[in-house]
Amino acid sequence: MNEERTNAASEATDGYFLRADGITKIYADGTVALRQATLEIRPREILGLLGENGAGKTTLTKILSGLLPPTKGRVVSPRGPVRFSSPREALDFGIGMVHQHFALVGTFTAAENVALSHERPFSFVQLGKTKEQLERLMAESGLRVPLDVPVSQLAVGEQQRVEILKVLSRDVDLLILDEPTSVLTPLEVDELFALLRRLRDKGTSIILITHKLKEVRSVTDRIVVLRQGELVGDVRTKETSAEQLAQLMVGRALDDASRTVELSDEDLPTRREARRADDGRVVLHVEDLVVRSDTGEIVVDHVSFDVHANEILGIAGVEGNGQSELVEALTGLRKAVSGTATINGTDILGVDPRAIYQLGVAHIPEDRWELGLVLPFTLAENAILGIHRWDEFRGPLSFLRWGRINRHVRGLIDRFEIQATGPSAPARSLSGGNQQKLIVGRELAKDPAIIVASQPTRGLDIGAAKYIRDLLSEMRDNGRAILLVSADLDEALARADRIAIMYEGKFMTIRTPDELDRETIGLLMGGVTTKEVA
Amino acid sequence: MSDRTQPLSSRLLRGAHRTLTGLHPALESLLAGVVGLLVGAVLMYIWGYDPWRAYIALFRGAYGGSYEWASSIARGTPLVLTALTFSICLRAGMFNIGAEGQMYMGAIASVMIALFALPAGLHTIVGLVFAALAGAAWSLVPAFLKLTRGVHEVISTIMFNWIGRWFALYLAIYVLVDPARAEKTLSIPVGARFPILVRGTDLSYSVFLAVAVALVIYFVLWHTAVGYEVRAAGLNPTAARYGGIRNKRTMFLSFILGGMAAGLAGAAIVMGLPPTYAIFGGGAMPQLTNIGFDGMAVAMVGRNHPIGIILAALFFGGLNAGGRVMQFYGSNPVPLEMVRVVMGAIVLTMSIPELFRLFPAIKKQGERFVGFWRRAAQRSPRRSA
Repeated sequence: MNEERTNAASEATDGYFLRADGITKIYADGTVALRQATLEIRPREILGLLGENGAGKTTLTKILSGLLPPTKGRVVSPRGPVRFSSPREALDFGIGMVHQHFALVGTFTAAENVALSHERPFSFVQLGKTKEQLERLMAESGLRVPLDVPVSQLAVGEQQRVEILKVLSRDVDLLILDEPTSVLTPLEVDELFALLRRLRDKGTSIILITHKLKEVRSVTDRIVVLRQGELVGDVRTKETSAEQLAQLMVGRALDDASRTVELSDEDLPTRREARRADDGRVVLHVEDLVVRSDTGEIVVDHVSFDVHANEILGIAGVEGNGQSELVEALTGLRKAVSGTATINGTDILGVDPRAIYQLGVAHIPEDRWELGLVLPFTLAENAILGIHRWDEFRGPLSFLRWGRINRHVRGLIDRFEIQATGPSAPARSLSGGNQQKLIVGRELAKDPAIIVASQPTRGLDIGAAKYIRDLLSEMRDNGRAILLVSADLDEALARADRIAIMYEGKFMTIRTPDELDRETIGLLMGGVTTKEVA
Repeated sequence: MSDRTQPLSSRLLRGAHRTLTGLHPALESLLAGVVGLLVGAVLMYIWGYDPWRAYIALFRGAYGGSYEWASSIARGTPLVLTALTFSICLRAGMFNIGAEGQMYMGAIASVMIALFALPAGLHTIVGLVFAALAGAAWSLVPAFLKLTRGVHEVISTIMFNWIGRWFALYLAIYVLVDPARAEKTLSIPVGARFPILVRGTDLSYSVFLAVAVALVIYFVLWHTAVGYEVRAAGLNPTAARYGGIRNKRTMFLSFILGGMAAGLAGAAIVMGLPPTYAIFGGGAMPQLTNIGFDGMAVAMVGRNHPIGIILAALFFGGLNAGGRVMQFYGSNPVPLEMVRVVMGAIVLTMSIPELFRLFPAIKKQGERFVGFWRRAAQRSPRRSA
């Protein structure tokens, strides 16, 4: 039935199933996620959607699957414009999405999870019928999962298959998969791709979101590349090369008149030369570090590196390749499996965060709301998080010296130009940039030997981002060691003295920025090692 | 997207939402009190009582004179302590429903001082220490179970309430029983009792204990590094861990402090409540029953702040004291249970602003509902035509 519908649709039109027509998406905070993206989705085709973090891949698919309304532009089907106000409407139309984070009830079986997704208010759950349908579907697609086991007991790959079955059971014509391979083993990836090819041959269109060059080239028919919200390439997979894709993905804008208007010289991270990068002593020494993720996979895979005083070591790479876990292991927030890490010779693995801070570590965390701040707390309360036990702020009987604390906070407000009504303003009331300045100010006040900065400028406006980058450079010049983890390649290239590219838990290379060109970086970030690079 | 393009119902809802969520916490509590009393009034009216006269009787009985004030304060005293139990743990991010059980343990521990003799002042202090330790010990078991086995504290503390209740009752009936009067336990020795503050009333010096504990807890939470850690861990455990705070320690600490406060509540009742200064095992411990649970209501209305708790306890103590007067009031005897109805209505009203903070979700459901009816209404005339 699925097939008939698709065939009918494809015959009736000039070859597309859905078209995104000049889609622009501007989020409430002013971020432009997509600019005038026009894209055709054709039947019987696997389309790869390639791009760095924040390129707009997810936004685009969320608009197609009804999770987000576009700010401008429309989605057109051969039967006319379509507008979805919910994922359910999109599903009814025949578009289903499998998200990176699964939406499964762990204690339910696969059959129950699928039945749940079919449920409407006041309808009966028809478990028997669902099972029958699933058996049929599994036989057709060759996608097998145990139906009567609680999904929490299934492997991640199997859980993903349940998600795919959930969507397929709704007779979709377009299946969207968001980074489906990031949680899979190589064997599972092969199985998934075989399945996708079978589905395509049966007439389903598939959109595969990924940042892995190898995979996108092996399975797709056509590749669309997004960069900073713009559609910069639409190529047939057969006619392209990894180099071309890497260039499209990370290359500096080819001829963007539109972007130069908004970006003055100010915004582009400016290069700052180190004073003496190589004769600084080793502050952080990491050897053979192995770390597991929450779900138990090895996400930091025998990584070794040093960070010297007077040096910024940048870790670039697409997010989710182990950077967060690496930082967490180094700051005491996550247990390492094996390996060593020392700061000025003292072992820091398995030591709790407080002891690590006492060795002179400042940590600017990736997630400033979840980790960096207690949002309902005031500015003053947040400004002493982690240093609240210092003698400067804590008197006898553990009494806090609010007078001194408030003076300290006013100092931070002045020095770091934090826009706030005063020390007693709730941290929640500050803008993102000012919240980040507060965190940076607090961490720098620790007079650290090493600063671990994770995505320190994410989501900040241009001025605040530059300010924080300059501060980091200044700290470097003052003899600090800095580990800068950034998904922003421009930032890493401009500020780091050496750059490591991280891919699937490993460092692909550690070089000075001058030794790397963008194309090479793009390839390394996508997991491709060429002879010249290796 | 101006307001005017939206239907009136949606604008009204949003107005109500802004008003309710924007209120100062103290005003919210006040509003909840008023709504609770109104609900009580409506129920009284339905059952044929005169709410106006009943409330006059109630408030005269609660705050009509120095005797009335004294009995209201006396009834509020243990509530301050059990409310603090709930609040400290909530500030640390946990629901300690176990004040009731911890309070029983404190009460029975304080009776034990009747077994030996000590100099007057010291005897009181030993009694308080006994009670505090017993309460803390009783709260540590759930804390320990949570840490080692991941048992949710709501479940374990509720279970421990029952174990504590029956264990205390057993001790009251079989072990610490007064040989002369089997319905009650041994009485606290005269030298160890809290002296009466206002002659002829129940109000004893235990009120100073409650206020002192409230102040101490206020200072610990807002003016010490330890309390800072507790509050940080309660509001954002991840950030607390990032800040080098050991969450397990703050959790233990809050349970210990909370258990101590609940234990002291038990002691305040036994050692400060004339005329017998004992627990009535025979009547299944009527003076103690529900003091822990009512404390949770007081904590809610007091917004989990020690100062707010003192004021809320004064109000709840007044309802309890005045309720007794109300049920004997001449031609209009309203049953004492009506007071509990009012308390329940207050607690429910307190949760309404919380409900409205979930407004976006509710609004969405509402709009879907309205849309459904509108579509149905549009469809039906066509069908008939």
